[in-house]
Amino acid sequence: MVKLYCMSILYKGQTNATCLKAAYDLQGFSFFQRGSVQEFMAFVSKTITERTISASRQSVKEGEYMCHVYVRRDNLAGVVISDHEYPSRVSHTLITKVLDEFSQVVPASSWPEITERDVSFSQLNVYLAKYQNPQEADAMTKIQSDLDETKIILHNTIEAVLERGERLDDLVAKSEGLSIQSKAFYKTARKTNSCCTFG
Amino acid sequence: MPARRRRTGSETEPFIVIGDRNSNWSQQESDKQSSFPNNVTQSYYIEEDDYTDNYVEPEPIMTARDRTNEFATTIRSLQGRNIARAVATNDPRKAKVIQSHSEFMLIARNVGKNIASTYAKLEKLTLLAKRKSLFDDRSAEIQELTYIIKGDLNSLNQQIAQLQDVSKRQKQNGKHLQSHSCSVVLALQSKLASMSTDFKQILEVRTENLKQQKNRREQFSQGTVNTSLPPSAVSGYHQGSVLLQEQDQVSINLENSALIPKHNQMQTMLMYDETDNYLRDRAETMQNIESTIVELGGIFQQLAHMVKEQEEMVERIDTNVQDAEMNIEAAHTQILKYFQSVTSNRWLMIKIFGVLIMFFIIFVVFLA
Repeated sequence: MVKLYCMSILYKGQTNATCLKAAYDLQGFSFFQRGSVQEFMAFVSKTITERTISASRQSVKEGEYMCHVYVRRDNLAGVVISDHEYPSRVSHTLITKVLDEFSQVVPASSWPEITERDVSFSQLNVYLAKYQNPQEADAMTKIQSDLDETKIILHNTIEAVLERGERLDDLVAKSEGLSIQSKAFYKTARKTNSCCTFG
Repeated sequence: MPARRRRTGSETEPFIVIGDRNSNWSQQESDKQSSFPNNVTQSYYIEEDDYTDNYVEPEPIMTARDRTNEFATTIRSLQGRNIARAVATNDPRKAKVIQSHSEFMLIARNVGKNIASTYAKLEKLTLLAKRKSLFDDRSAEIQELTYIIKGDLNSLNQQIAQLQDVSKRQKQNGKHLQSHSCSVVLALQSKLASMSTDFKQILEVRTENLKQQKNRREQFSQGTVNTSLPPSAVSGYHQGSVLLQEQDQVSINLENSALIPKHNQMQTMLMYDETDNYLRDRAETMQNIESTIVELGGIFQQLAHMVKEQEEMVERIDTNVQDAEMNIEAAHTQILKYFQSVTSNRWLMIKIFGVLIMFFIIFVVFLA
C-alpha cells in the first residue's frame, strides 16, 4: 500500500536544521502511538537533513519507512517519509514542487530565523492528502496511466473493426446473392411477357 | 600399453577406480628417476610410465578392482623412500644428504604444481576480463578470481621463500646438488614473477574496460534522453543539450506540458547523492511515456488502414444492392406490362369464347 506518513520543510543551518513546517498523516497508527510517532518522524527528518549535503537528494531506508530528502542549494530542505512501495521519483517531485511553492510564499530571508509557529503554509496538508494516491497526483504517472488506458481502448477498437470487417464480408455475399436473384427474376418476367400474346 | 600417470605428490593412497583403465591415480616417486634435473620440470607434465620397480600393472577392467597389492607396495615405497635408499647406500652422511634433498624436491614439486594451477586461473581471469560486452558483466566472478589468485600468489611467494631456506640449510650437500637447488629455486621464482606481471597487466586491462564500459553507458543513457525527444518538443530541444553542462537550478513546470524537458541541478559525483538516480528515473519515465505515445500513434494508423480497406467492401455492397434494385424495378415493369396485356386482352378472349360457344351450340343443335 502506497502511503505517505509525513512531509516537512526544514531549513538547514550551519550547525543544525530547524523545522519550518510539517504535516502528518497518522491515521494508520493507534491513537496512543501517534504522539511518539510524530516526534520520531520529526527527529528523523531533522537528523537526516543535517546529514545530507547541500544541493543533493537522498532516499534512506529506515526500518519499515523510506525517507526521501532533498536539500536545495539555498539550504531549504524537504523531507517526505513514506512506506517502501511509494515510488521515490514521485516523492522527490513532490518535495521539489512543495519547496518551490514555499519559497514563493515565504521570503527566503526569513528562513534562518522564523519558527514553526510563524509559518502559515496550509498547502502542505493539501499536498500530503493529494499525494496519498501517487497515480493521480503526479503528472507523469497520470499521463502514463492515461496512455495505458487509451492503449487498451484502442486495442478494443481494433478488435471491433475486425468484427466489422467480418460483418461487411457477410453483407457483401448476401447483397451479391440478392442481385443475382433479382436479375433472374427480371429475366423470367421478361420471358413470360414476350413469349406469347396470351395463354 | 603403459598407462599415463599424472603427478599427485600429495596423495598417499590410490583410489579404487571403477572401470576406466586410463584414469588410474597412484603415487609416483620422483626420486625413482635416475636424473635429478628432470624432477622439477616434470612435476606437472603428464608422462609415460617408466618405472620398473615397486610398481604393479593394474588388473584388467572389472567393476571393482582389487588393488591392495598396489596399495601395499605404495605404502612400502613411501616408507622406504627416504630410508631405504639411505640404508642401501650404507653411508650415514650420504643418507642424510639424500633425505634432505628429497625433501627439497618434494617442496619444489608442490610449488610447481601450485604455479600451474594458478596459471590456469590467471588464464581464465584473462578471458573474463577481456570481454567487452556492455551487459554480460561477470564482475562478481572476476573479483572472486582476482581474490583467489592474489591469495595463491602470496602463498606461492611464501613457499618459494621456504624452499630457499631449505636449500640454504643444506650446506653439507655437494656443490652440484647445491647449484642445482639454487637453479631450481631461481626457475620457480622467475615463473612466479612472470605470473605476477601478467596478473598486474590483466588488472590494468580490467580497469580500462570498466572505464570504457562506464563511458559507453553514460553515453547511451544521456544520449537517449537527448535524441529521443519527438519533434513536437523542439521548442525545448536546445535546452536539452544544455542539460549536459553545469546548470543552475530552474523551477520545474509540471503543469505546462509533459514533453518539455525538465532542468535539474547537475550534481558532481558525491557518494550519497541520489540526484542521479532521481534524474535517471525521470528520464526513464519520460522515455516510457514517449514510447507509449509512439505506439499509440502506430495503432491509430493501423486502425485507419483497416477502415480504409473495409471501405472497398462497403462500396461493393453498395453496387450490389443498387444492381438488385435496378433488376427488381425492371422486372416489376415487365410484370406490369404483362398484367396490362392480360387485362387488355379480355375483349379478344370474349370474342374467342363467343365463337367457341357458337360452335358448341351448333354441335348441340345438330346432334339434337
